[in-house]
Amino acid sequence: MDQAAASEDILLDLRNISLSFGGVKALIDISFDIRRGEVRAIIGPNGAGKSSMLNVINGFYHPQEGEVWFDGKLRGPMKPHQIARQGIARTFQNIALFRGMSTLDNLMTGRITHMHENMFWQAIWKGRAEKEELAHRERVEHIIDFLEIQSIRKTPVGKLPYGLQKRVELGRALAAESKLLLLDEPMAGMNLEEKEDMCRFVLDVHDQFGTTIALIEHDMGVVMDIADRVVVLDYGRKIGDGYPDEVRSNKDVIDAYLGVAHD
Amino acid sequence: MSPAVLNTIEVFLNGLMAGVMYSLVALGFVLIFKSSGIFNYAQGVMALFAALTLVGFQTGQIPFAHLINVVFGTDYHHWGEGMNTVLAIILTMLIMILLAWIVEKLVLRYLVNQEPIILFMATIGLAFFLEGLGDLMWGANIKVLNVGLPSGGSFWWEDVTRTWASEGSDYYGMYIDVLDVWAAGIAVVLVVALTAFSQFTKTGRALRAVADDHQAALTVGISLRTIWVVVWSIAGFVALVAGIMWGAKSGVQFSLSLIALKALPVLILGGFTSIPGAIVGGLIIGVGEKLFEYSVGPMIGGATENWFAYVLALFFLMFRPQGLFGERIIERV
Repeated sequence: MDQAAASEDILLDLRNISLSFGGVKALIDISFDIRRGEVRAIIGPNGAGKSSMLNVINGFYHPQEGEVWFDGKLRGPMKPHQIARQGIARTFQNIALFRGMSTLDNLMTGRITHMHENMFWQAIWKGRAEKEELAHRERVEHIIDFLEIQSIRKTPVGKLPYGLQKRVELGRALAAESKLLLLDEPMAGMNLEEKEDMCRFVLDVHDQFGTTIALIEHDMGVVMDIADRVVVLDYGRKIGDGYPDEVRSNKDVIDAYLGVAHD
Repeated sequence: MSPAVLNTIEVFLNGLMAGVMYSLVALGFVLIFKSSGIFNYAQGVMALFAALTLVGFQTGQIPFAHLINVVFGTDYHHWGEGMNTVLAIILTMLIMILLAWIVEKLVLRYLVNQEPIILFMATIGLAFFLEGLGDLMWGANIKVLNVGLPSGGSFWWEDVTRTWASEGSDYYGMYIDVLDVWAAGIAVVLVVALTAFSQFTKTGRALRAVADDHQAALTVGISLRTIWVVVWSIAGFVALVAGIMWGAKSGVQFSLSLIALKALPVLILGGFTSIPGAIVGGLIIGVGEKLFEYSVGPMIGGATENWFAYVLALFFLMFRPQGLFGERIIERV
């Protein structure tokens, strides 16, 4: 593959990222890329820097060194909301939903990056703003159907059980129709059935919408099943990168993360 | 009906009217507290500042006239006959938006993620600054604010209620200030408009989102700074309305900023995060203090209106610290 085609193919390219908090080095010289349309998993033991990595990608953290190339362009210093507008949506390890708002309203906030009508039109709430609202509403209803959460459309999400909250959060990220979807432990704390459901949704999202997904997950079975490629972090360094099979047989990874005796 | 019953009804109605005025101030507090967790001590001063500016524009005062005269030895005070009330209100609103923008630019921006107490202290500073600025810009004399709203007792209501009294009594009807009725009407419109705005518009939804979770709001692409300017502008607008009503009622004077203190018990009753709470809290305080003054006041020497609201708030703190409509406080261990 020649250079141009390769860069065309790559949605996000992280080059030599280093991030530290005071004396603590969270990420040390990490480079990897995410190709368009793939499911990329980031794994590693606790404290390996996985969430820090995600926070760098969506702009909560600004790395001291390194470059982030998104969609073929070098990204300058940006605020998280600007990065969201560029097309990166995410979910959080400890669910960050708008707890007082209904499921429907939560998903509608996901559409904010696509709404354009100005405050004057909204204030008089007629005409174009109304039309726009309805168009977005349709998209959101589609996602609600897709995630099978019709029955909780009007429920304030604070009242929902954990598993459903996770699903609503995924829905809000989907509503953004982003180029890149970051999922921070989408299955953490779920029971087996909920995990299987979530797995199915992630794969369906990938199939139906062709969304590029980067996800952090602890369940190795899940990772090996759904990821196209895997990057492994340990103590802020990258120790493995490649297809699931390669990673699984990588000795560093086995030592650091799986920690099981090999036969 | 006997005159005693009618008198009580009259006190009750006047209490409601007074309560609406408290609610108007409390509303501004709730808006800012809900969306940014900041208790804006300067809300009362913002109402004062808005009223001062409005009168200044209306009567054609030159801002900073005193300062200019001292520095340049001139003697300017007015630049003409003043302007149309509607135009003055629009200009004042623009000034309040500008103020919101400046507050975000110079104060809030640097205090993101600080403790609430730090932000609270910043708003105290802002309150003193605004009070001084208002003084310097428009002078400290008491001003008359006339925006063309009718005022004075309603003769119609007096006549109607006179017929309610039982035959032969010398009851001469209830007194209700028309201005108060207007204030109540305007407050209702304001609340309906604000509620509709927050429920049905994109910006309103963004406001609620920010109020709920800052981090999540950022990730869906909401700019906190823009939202804060919007919120402070809306609070400025509410302050303007409150300033107009209070100013028209009792003149534009610097003690107006102290009405902010009356809003505190209102907020404790209604809950700091609830718009309906601010309204209901204001009404309860208004009615409560008027009825208390009327019934118990004479027995204990009067002037109970000065402290009744605070004592009531104290009782509420004991039994329902989150207020009537506040979110329930649940501490998970």
